[in-house]
Amino acid sequence: MSALLRVRDLHVRYPLSGGLLSLTGNNPSFVDVVHGVSLDINRGETTAIVGESGSGKTTLAMALCGLAPVCAGEVHFLGDKLERDRKNRLNPDRKRIALMFQDPVGSLNPRMTIRKALGEPFRIHQADTRDPAQEALRLLSQVGLNEDFADRYPHQLSGGQARRVGVARALALRPDILIADEPTAGLDVSIQGEVLNLLSRLQQEMGLGILIITHNLNIVRHVADQMAIMYMGRFIEQGDSQKIFSQPRHPYTAALLSANPSPDPDAQSTPIELLGDVPSLLHRPTGCEFHTRCPRARPLCSSSFPDLTKSTGHQVFNCFFPMD
Amino acid sequence: MSLPVLDIQGLSVNYQTDQGPLQALRDVNLRVPEGKIIGIVGESGCGKSTLISAIIRLLAPNARIAQGSVVFKGKDLLSLSPEQMRSLRGDEISMVFQDPMTSLNPVLTIGRQMSDVQHRSAASRADKNARSLLMLERVGIPDPEAQLRRFPHHLSGGMRQRVAIAMALMAEPALLIADEPTTALDATLEVQIIHRLRELQREFDCAILFISHHLGVIAELCDEVVVMYAGEVVESGSLRDVFVDPRHPYTRKLLECDPARITQRTRELPVIEGGLPKLVNLPRGCIFRERCSQSLERCSLERPRISGDHHQAACHLLETVP
Repeated sequence: MSALLRVRDLHVRYPLSGGLLSLTGNNPSFVDVVHGVSLDINRGETTAIVGESGSGKTTLAMALCGLAPVCAGEVHFLGDKLERDRKNRLNPDRKRIALMFQDPVGSLNPRMTIRKALGEPFRIHQADTRDPAQEALRLLSQVGLNEDFADRYPHQLSGGQARRVGVARALALRPDILIADEPTAGLDVSIQGEVLNLLSRLQQEMGLGILIITHNLNIVRHVADQMAIMYMGRFIEQGDSQKIFSQPRHPYTAALLSANPSPDPDAQSTPIELLGDVPSLLHRPTGCEFHTRCPRARPLCSSSFPDLTKSTGHQVFNCFFPMD
Repeated sequence: MSLPVLDIQGLSVNYQTDQGPLQALRDVNLRVPEGKIIGIVGESGCGKSTLISAIIRLLAPNARIAQGSVVFKGKDLLSLSPEQMRSLRGDEISMVFQDPMTSLNPVLTIGRQMSDVQHRSAASRADKNARSLLMLERVGIPDPEAQLRRFPHHLSGGMRQRVAIAMALMAEPALLIADEPTTALDATLEVQIIHRLRELQREFDCAILFISHHLGVIAELCDEVVVMYAGEVVESGSLRDVFVDPRHPYTRKLLECDPARITQRTRELPVIEGGLPKLVNLPRGCIFRERCSQSLERCSLERPRISGDHHQAACHLLETVP
């Protein structure tokens, strides 16, 4: 089966502004936010990207939607190579790759009713629909909100409701891929369940390929088929999510999974302590980026970057001294 | 037993709205004993933020405290003048907020901000600086001297939150209020911050009121838990009592919904059906009635009172079953 979206060795690099510091010569003139990422998104499957804030998750999502410049790498959508525009941004068919933003209320126009906001994709893409307002009602019912919501403004919605409107708007033009950036951040567990159930129902109905970006490991375990762990702009481990949860190979993955606090007061958790802090992207460590914090690091790790190692199944990782 | 640091009795807060008073908090009791960590859990909209704002007296202008008392170390905070209240905030009661980027000033260095929060102290600038350094070391920030000269945007999220904690503990407060301090962080940093908070709490012997909807974090950190629903405390007790033997149907549902407790992988996550009731025209009886699967006739007539000794819950079911 060919992938809906096929990403190979994608790089996003931001230039640093000039300023006086650039004259000293000690500082790099650019920062690599996404550093050689490869990824497949398949129809009907959910892929999760996990990693701490600043690891480049959101930038990757933006790049895939053509909202951030790409400096190297190839992206194929349904077998067709996506070309870059004058500003080096990818130019995907935005009707077919939809993005759900992190802040649901902030991404809605505060002066537009929900009816109008939901009709907007049709107007912008001049989609063949007789009545955008009627479509808006259909979308609302699809995400489980009643017609009363059509005339409300974003500030009159709760977090969960705004998220539903975000889902409705992203799915308005029946995309093939939905990229959801932190779809449950700030929601409590019950509403989080509602939003995730809604996404998985719509996925079954529409055969969507979903890319979820999150740092909530508990939801990844339940909803993701594939997962990738991102650290300083790279995927350091990726593959089948069940497999990674049961047998993480990269020490960072292992630390991340062991650190997940359990709601059971009797659970004996022994989190793997990581040394220090995430290094700055401006001063990317040599060799494996994780060696500064890695409990298993040896001299080799600071001099060269480990090649991609294939484990059983589809699990791959970059580490010289992986976990057993 | 020593006096609690914070003792809230029968607190009710209303917001004036076009549709009439919105009863955001109703008859809330909460005790924070000295040196303990108390967790507050509940859905968004359950009144957690209103409660904190009421404690530190930073309620919105349209809010009115209808009744109740907030006693901090023997003083009723509600009767203090704004000046007296100001001198308590950041000194004896301090706060750590959800987003460290917005609680730090982006155009001032960390060092300047850390000296500024010591504005009450008569110490020299050099002494204040030394104290800032010490605090940064205490919260585990590497190379603190260099950090003092940096700006908030130079620091990672975890570092910023640690700076915020260092600033909050600077005056060695008796009570630290932490409003979802780890939601913006990933799991490894979250655990780091929680452990750091525990250590500091022992070291400084302050009480912490910790708000979060991450049940795992609450379980890891807190001694006691208060469960709030739609402006009321529905259950409270020790962490073990509430998390292992929940009595209120809402607490039970909430715990069931946590994907971390579901060991079997599932596509259909459990949810609590229905939504929060409107707090403008309160329904009669139990506030959770409409979403409760076990409700009785009595539940629609009469509001259950909170009962129990150490492990308290407000539910009619507990009274009928002896």
